[in-house]
Amino acid sequence: MADDKHDPTYLQPFNQAHRANKSDGSPAAPFDGASKLLFEQAMAQTRMAVVLTDPNLPDDPIVFCNQAFQDLTGYEASEIVGRNCRFLQGADTDQEQVEKIRQAIREEDVVVVEILNYRKDGTRFWNTLHLGPIYDENGTLKYFFGSQWDVTDIHQSRAEEHHAKAMAREVSHRLKNVFSVIGGIVNITGRSMDARAVAKRINERVQALGRSYEPTLDEAALGTIGVGQAIRAVLAPYDPEGNRVKYRGNGIRTEPNAISAIGLTLHELATNATKYGALSNDTGQVELAWEHARDKVGRTTIEIDWRETGGPRIDGPPERTGTGFNIAETLLSHSRGVLETDWTPEGLHARIILPIANR
Amino acid sequence: MKTILVLEDEPLIAMDLRYAVEDLGFEVLAAIDNDEALAAIEGREVDGAILDVSLGAGKTCEPTASELHARAIPFILHTGDLDRVGETLRAIGAPIMPKPSPSDVVANRLVDQMREKT
Repeated sequence: MADDKHDPTYLQPFNQAHRANKSDGSPAAPFDGASKLLFEQAMAQTRMAVVLTDPNLPDDPIVFCNQAFQDLTGYEASEIVGRNCRFLQGADTDQEQVEKIRQAIREEDVVVVEILNYRKDGTRFWNTLHLGPIYDENGTLKYFFGSQWDVTDIHQSRAEEHHAKAMAREVSHRLKNVFSVIGGIVNITGRSMDARAVAKRINERVQALGRSYEPTLDEAALGTIGVGQAIRAVLAPYDPEGNRVKYRGNGIRTEPNAISAIGLTLHELATNATKYGALSNDTGQVELAWEHARDKVGRTTIEIDWRETGGPRIDGPPERTGTGFNIAETLLSHSRGVLETDWTPEGLHARIILPIANR
Repeated sequence: MKTILVLEDEPLIAMDLRYAVEDLGFEVLAAIDNDEALAAIEGREVDGAILDVSLGAGKTCEPTASELHARAIPFILHTGDLDRVGETLRAIGAPIMPKPSPSDVVANRLVDQMREKT
């Protein structure tokens, strides 16, 4: 820095530095505070590593680096000044990123790249490098400015997030396989004990339960389940063409424990609709809505509204609703929830009301 | 009697599918990997197939699927991980049955596919 020609003290104000001045326009007023002392103090104190290189010298060497740059790279200033920045690169540095830097220098452009660099002791760090040209008051290219930021931690957490997602997917895949294997065991056992119809019923419930948890498995990290996703997953097999069940809900979420009761209840409603209700003919529809609400004693609840239309006309409640509804009601009552049923002539109108804890 | 290939590395699922397919009046050829499946296709007339997509150790049923596709033999994919189906398999466009699905539903879906293709 002894050579006055390369003394960065005489630079333009920083906000102008990346732009070439038009020769016919009036040059921006020099920043009065840009004394050598201030510049040196600011550069010494900032935690951002900064270098300046001189593209007018052979191989664009570094002519200035601050303390933060020395701390970041582990080199002393005397080992840095005079060298081209590429001494920070190493075996695993992505050459595509290096090419972006070269291009920016050729075209006197501003660029931000993320590049793997190496310290003096050989350890690696992820460097967000911001570089750009600096012009003097005549618009002549004087320096390239480079600021470095160690983003290794960010890279690490991105990698961990990626890993967690991959794990969640693997667990999800295996669990679906487990449900599939359970289905196999139930069917094979039912067959060997001459109870295939029973096995089929057990299996349908097991599979409905498995489907209710599908959304959680795929986004295990969130800890709650999207109610709409769970509802769609449970009911998907009953509407293979996707045109018989209408879903009208929002993105409410709930804790996983609430889902088994909801999932199995919806399964029983859908089974009933397939046998006797709106899904037993070719034209009936089921309309589902869900929302958060408050029950009579002021607790927050999930309410799921199930309305069948277009099925065979109904003359009041059936004489027996079957064991499926009993199972659903028992499960819901365990969580202080209820299944309300209104057998209108157009079809069943049912409501699942389930209080949610801790809300 | 028509013959159905079942490619599935999990024995209990394979057995369950075998019964479900036999219930519909077909004969079943069971294979646990691509080598067995390809040998089965080579060895005799196969009329349709149910293929498990993930066959362990990162392997998929792609070689078998490609061979069936080349021979215009109808088949369906059976998988717990839709993301793993992969580009090549998707391009073939065979129906996908998610796991878990009841075995009789899977078997019937294959029968539908065989009807569409003939």
